[in-house]
Amino acid sequence: MIKVENLYKGFDGVPVLKGINVEYEPGKCNMIIGASGSGKTVLLKNLIGLLEPDSGDISYGDRKLSSMSEKEKRMLRKDIGILFQGSALFDFATVIENVMFPMEFFTDWSYAQRKERAQFCLEKVNVIGSDAKFPNELSGGMQKRVGIARAIALNPSYLFCDEPNSGLDPYTSILIDELISNITQEFNMTTVVNTHDMNSILEIGDKIAFMYKGSLLWQGDKNTILHTDCAELREFICANTLARNIIEGR
Amino acid sequence: MLKKMFIAVGRYILFLKMVFRRPDRWRIFWRQFINEADKLIISSVLLVGVISLFIGGVLVIQTASNLENPLIDKMYVGYMVRESLILEFCSTMIALILAGKMGSNIASEIGSMRITEQIDAMDMMGVNSAGFLVLPKIVASTLLSPLLMLLSLALGVLGGYLVVEFTQIIPTASYITGIKAFYNGFYVWYSCFKMSLFCFMIASIAAYNGYYAKGGSLGVGKSSTQAIVTTSILILLADLIVTQLMLY
Repeated sequence: MIKVENLYKGFDGVPVLKGINVEYEPGKCNMIIGASGSGKTVLLKNLIGLLEPDSGDISYGDRKLSSMSEKEKRMLRKDIGILFQGSALFDFATVIENVMFPMEFFTDWSYAQRKERAQFCLEKVNVIGSDAKFPNELSGGMQKRVGIARAIALNPSYLFCDEPNSGLDPYTSILIDELISNITQEFNMTTVVNTHDMNSILEIGDKIAFMYKGSLLWQGDKNTILHTDCAELREFICANTLARNIIEGR
Repeated sequence: MLKKMFIAVGRYILFLKMVFRRPDRWRIFWRQFINEADKLIISSVLLVGVISLFIGGVLVIQTASNLENPLIDKMYVGYMVRESLILEFCSTMIALILAGKMGSNIASEIGSMRITEQIDAMDMMGVNSAGFLVLPKIVASTLLSPLLMLLSLALGVLGGYLVVEFTQIIPTASYITGIKAFYNGFYVWYSCFKMSLFCFMIASIAAYNGYYAKGGSLGVGKSSTQAIVTTSILILLADLIVTQLMLY
């Protein structure tokens, strides 16, 4: 469980997050949605510790991020897997080396054990026979899959995905969504997905938080989002043709 | 501008503090060290070798054409070529050339990792990205660059010898006598030290510029250019200071 309490963050005096309160539950795909510039990525970066909040608290379980020592933060990071928007696979390493990378630093496993675990993770995301390829030899969808395999390599309790479908075709997007959802349930992870893709939201959004101009305007799930009274959220949803048709009963 | 400079110096020092933390795994560090030694030093051998060979030859011709006075022994051509190579060319000039080659390589590599979030990914895994990426580059270039200096010296002398041998601009025996005359071993140490210092500056300043690159591919290009310009100026400044301190 991740709990965000009264979180504020600004840059050069301009507020970007204005008092965010939200809880992310384990075993669920928790979505942060909103238009570009609404503060989704800033919230995600605060959650994973890449940015320091101006005020407010973020708790992992019963541990507050602000009161953790550097060592405790380092320990927590081992328990966090992240899928970056551009996958962020290491150019200097092959597919298998990318997945083995966190294991090399944080486990005492032998090479054979690390390789076995990496292959297990790659099989989970359906990347087979590409162990020796470099990231630039993979398609965008494959890179995302390898990114997920690397994120789950140390069997983390928390998984963060920043725009997992950006730049992917609709079919691959669905596969990636299903993959994230399946992994979340199988490993009982607390998964937080940052997206503005309506298909993903309706497909895997167990819990949805809508952000608008730095504030959290609405919280719900994929069953209630289409019946919302929140005008800003309706406007956001209606930008998507399929969702608009559902709302308008077509 | 002065404020900006102080901020940059402070950030550079904090960056070095991150870089010089104890490596998480020594095994990984040594593996990276060997990779970087290959990428930064071994791959520079050809460039340094070719330049040194030609400059050695050119120095012989230039020095010989300036020492046409019959009262001056021709062996001084060899002596002056050797001293020019040891004192300035093999360390400072080669370092300036490496500032372009190594500096742009390091800054663009780390810069592109920064803008594609690879460094963020490492940090989020709890890996000291600065230590993992930069420390092996700094250690490899600082420790192994004196070998490039010695190679440059040997090939510079050889270049001079080949020109003497084929053109007979001065007698070959005089050149060899000059090369061996009044040898001061301290000058070689001084030159090795300079080379190490300059390569430390190249690796650390280029890495610093790459590590804090922002603004997409344009930002990477900018950081690379910034690294080369800054390093070149600082190498010349450090050359002046070190020479004053060590030779006088």
